[in-house]
Amino acid sequence: MAGSEEVNLIESKTVVPLNTWVLISNFKLAYNLLRRPDGTFNRHLAEFLDRKVPANANPVNGVFSFDVIIDRQTNLLSRVYRPADAAAGPPSITDLQNPVDGEIVPVIVFFHGGSFAHSSANSAIYDTLCRRLVGLCGAIVVSVNYRRAPENRYPCAYDDGWAVLNWVNSSSWLKSKKDSKVHIFLAGDSSGGNIVHNVALRAVESGIDVLGNILLNPMFGGNERTESETRLDGKYFVTVRDRDWYWRAFLPEGEDREHPACSPFGPRSKSLEGLSFPKSLVVVAGLDLIQDWQLKYAQGLKQAGQEVKLLYLEQATIGFYLLPNNNHFHTVMDEIAAFVNAECQ
Amino acid sequence: MKRGHGETWDPPPPSREGPSMVDKKMAAADDNNNNNSNNMDDELLAVLGYKVRSSEMAEVAQKLEQLEMVLSNDDVGSSTLLNDTVHYNPSDLSNWVESMLSELNNPASSDLDPTTGGCVVDRSEYDLRAIPGLSAFPKQEEEEVFDVEEEASSKRIRLGSYCESTGESTRPVVLVDSQETGVRLVHALVACAEAIQQDNLTLADALVKRVGTLAASQAGAMGKVATYFAQALARRIYRGYTADTDVSFDDVLQMHFYESCPYLKFAHFTANQAILEAVATSRRVHVIDLGLNQGMQWPALMQALALRPGGPPLFRLTGVGPPQKENSDSLQQLGWRLAQFAQNLGVEFEFKGLAAESLSDLEPEMFETRPESETLVVNSVFELHRLLARSGSIEKLLGTVKAIKPSIVTVVEQEANHNGVVFLDRFNEALHYYSSLFDSLEDSYSLPSQDRAMSEVYLGRQILNVVAAEGTDRVERHETLPQWTNRMKTGGFDPVHLGSSGFKQASILLSVFAAGDGYRVEEKDGCLMLGWQTRPLITTSAWKLAGAAESRR
Repeated sequence: MAGSEEVNLIESKTVVPLNTWVLISNFKLAYNLLRRPDGTFNRHLAEFLDRKVPANANPVNGVFSFDVIIDRQTNLLSRVYRPADAAAGPPSITDLQNPVDGEIVPVIVFFHGGSFAHSSANSAIYDTLCRRLVGLCGAIVVSVNYRRAPENRYPCAYDDGWAVLNWVNSSSWLKSKKDSKVHIFLAGDSSGGNIVHNVALRAVESGIDVLGNILLNPMFGGNERTESETRLDGKYFVTVRDRDWYWRAFLPEGEDREHPACSPFGPRSKSLEGLSFPKSLVVVAGLDLIQDWQLKYAQGLKQAGQEVKLLYLEQATIGFYLLPNNNHFHTVMDEIAAFVNAECQ
Repeated sequence: MKRGHGETWDPPPPSREGPSMVDKKMAAADDNNNNNSNNMDDELLAVLGYKVRSSEMAEVAQKLEQLEMVLSNDDVGSSTLLNDTVHYNPSDLSNWVESMLSELNNPASSDLDPTTGGCVVDRSEYDLRAIPGLSAFPKQEEEEVFDVEEEASSKRIRLGSYCESTGESTRPVVLVDSQETGVRLVHALVACAEAIQQDNLTLADALVKRVGTLAASQAGAMGKVATYFAQALARRIYRGYTADTDVSFDDVLQMHFYESCPYLKFAHFTANQAILEAVATSRRVHVIDLGLNQGMQWPALMQALALRPGGPPLFRLTGVGPPQKENSDSLQQLGWRLAQFAQNLGVEFEFKGLAAESLSDLEPEMFETRPESETLVVNSVFELHRLLARSGSIEKLLGTVKAIKPSIVTVVEQEANHNGVVFLDRFNEALHYYSSLFDSLEDSYSLPSQDRAMSEVYLGRQILNVVAAEGTDRVERHETLPQWTNRMKTGGFDPVHLGSSGFKQASILLSVFAAGDGYRVEEKDGCLMLGWQTRPLITTSAWKLAGAAESRR
């Protein structure tokens, strides 16, 4: 096996900058240590290894942040990111929830990735990404610290997302001046993308208006092994085996990957036809082994008559959006900005 | 074909709006490379919490590949081994990966120096049996208040020795989704502090009264915090601050604080962990506690020492405390109680009490160290920041500590910058900090209320000092980890990293002792922080003499 492993490693090294390769390989290594064969997770070591950053009410590069406890019972936190008022000084504690100042101010509810088990809203990689989104889209970003698997299986993450969506929707300080409503977008990567879809479903069923879904390398799956899974297994940081592990950790015990949470256009899922589902931006990395499932998702949306833009980045691997050192990063950021700002004409 | 360093990426097109932080940093990285100074950390990874020198990137990549190969060749075994090892300082990727490679290649080696990052096999015999529970001995009866001459000094000390935080300061704020009255309350508090900052005492006076009214009708933690802050503001306005010198009551309050929430337990536990690791093979241990108070840290350490295979070492404790009043020697009495406890455990014990007005009065000879035979530990929990009130004091103390050549120095301090030069900044910092603290107390529903009430008084005193005192009276001069790191390094100390086993056990401790769900342990730069929700509140760090190897005598 050593021989083919070597080939694999060098292959992934040719398609990403070296520091990106080091970063993602480091995660891969750490994550391998944390997943136990019996399905349990070394949470203490995970928290120890995760690089976290505190919120910062002092603006840094025009963005400040603060954490809010949304629900005491479940200890649900979210980190709110806002653009700083260049003229004024650092916001005082009383200014943090000042009403937003703009005819249309998009509010992006963000769900970090980590395959439902890893990372937090205060993980450095996601704090950085959310800060970018603020400047990029002129938006407020609310990053949800949802409960993770395997300790908290389906539907906890969705419940938490739903709770924050409601909180955002009813926060008067987030209302745009134009129509006194909160202009909400949902965004997320990996498992976060999956949560976006499922929270949007609930929103549609409950009449909360979501203006758009942004799914970066969303995490979907199914029972079969698709062509991309077979072809790319182990080649670009991810293995089919680890994907299986995370689904077993997230889905209810005894369930298989046809569960609608894993397979939104599979045999057990409800049709989206006729629903006023938000428009979607689906970003797929061409070197992500679950791309067949992601493409199926985009296709499924289209077939259900929903508005979807698919952005397929042939040479991109997972995590390309974590560092701004490649073309895919900039392409995607531009697309996200356009997607969000389409509302703000 | 291997890519080079990050600088071979395509730069973003110039039409991008405004320079982003990252774009600037990338440009800087470019400059650095052009200037051949590849000893800079890769900027992009640094933002994400990883310190990797650009010049070492390829090497780190290679180590990662190696590790990957070893792991894939021996799937479960190696992975399990690494799962059980103790990890240190994950930000230092190079050392972290290197140490895992060493661990796999040479499993029994525990000679790795945690100061440079790495991992050792987790052999913690000092498990949760040694967790401090209720105080090991009966609570001390309250002693009478004793008067000491007030040190009223309105002279401002030159602030030369309190460095401003290096680099930008961080203001971590956690809001409880507040309803209207909470917001109005905070508004009034901040407005009052602003008025004081602008020397508009008439306005400040009016506002402080308003705060009082609002606070009275605000339930929960916010109301209590606001009340304490209002009282402190009032004292400042009327220049009515007097140094609170009832030290024995302080001790009582601290004990209640100890009982009611996990902060002190965490402090003691994590410091003890570091001490136990440092003295693992030592037969004679001498701990100097720079703030003995009620000695609550030591029963647990003695228990852990007693449980060592091969029996406990001789345990010698030198406890520093404030000057004793006439006809009483509480230090010595405490020593007796600890001796009794030690005897019950079968631990050979020696005690000495050292009374000192200030830690800067201590001289090396006073400790009567026995360098040929004992392993020396210096321990300080919430003591160092007090020295920042007098210029030169902290340097003097660190010099004294250095002179006695301890194997390890354990330090626990509040994680906050309450020592800024500008009053309003201090006020805002303190408001965030104590709001989090009080919030965490509020969550502990199962507590006897006296403990909680006394804890609030304990914290209230700190608030009073931060807000109303100045000059040498203002002793609650908390500073952040980067600031303390600076001081320790300047003082001639290197960090000793606290690892994942301490982290794990501290986390478990919290779940046992902390009623609230919101406590979090975080690792940062080899130190352990305890926080409420996402806000770090106290930090435990460990240090050794610069250049000294990790000694495990």
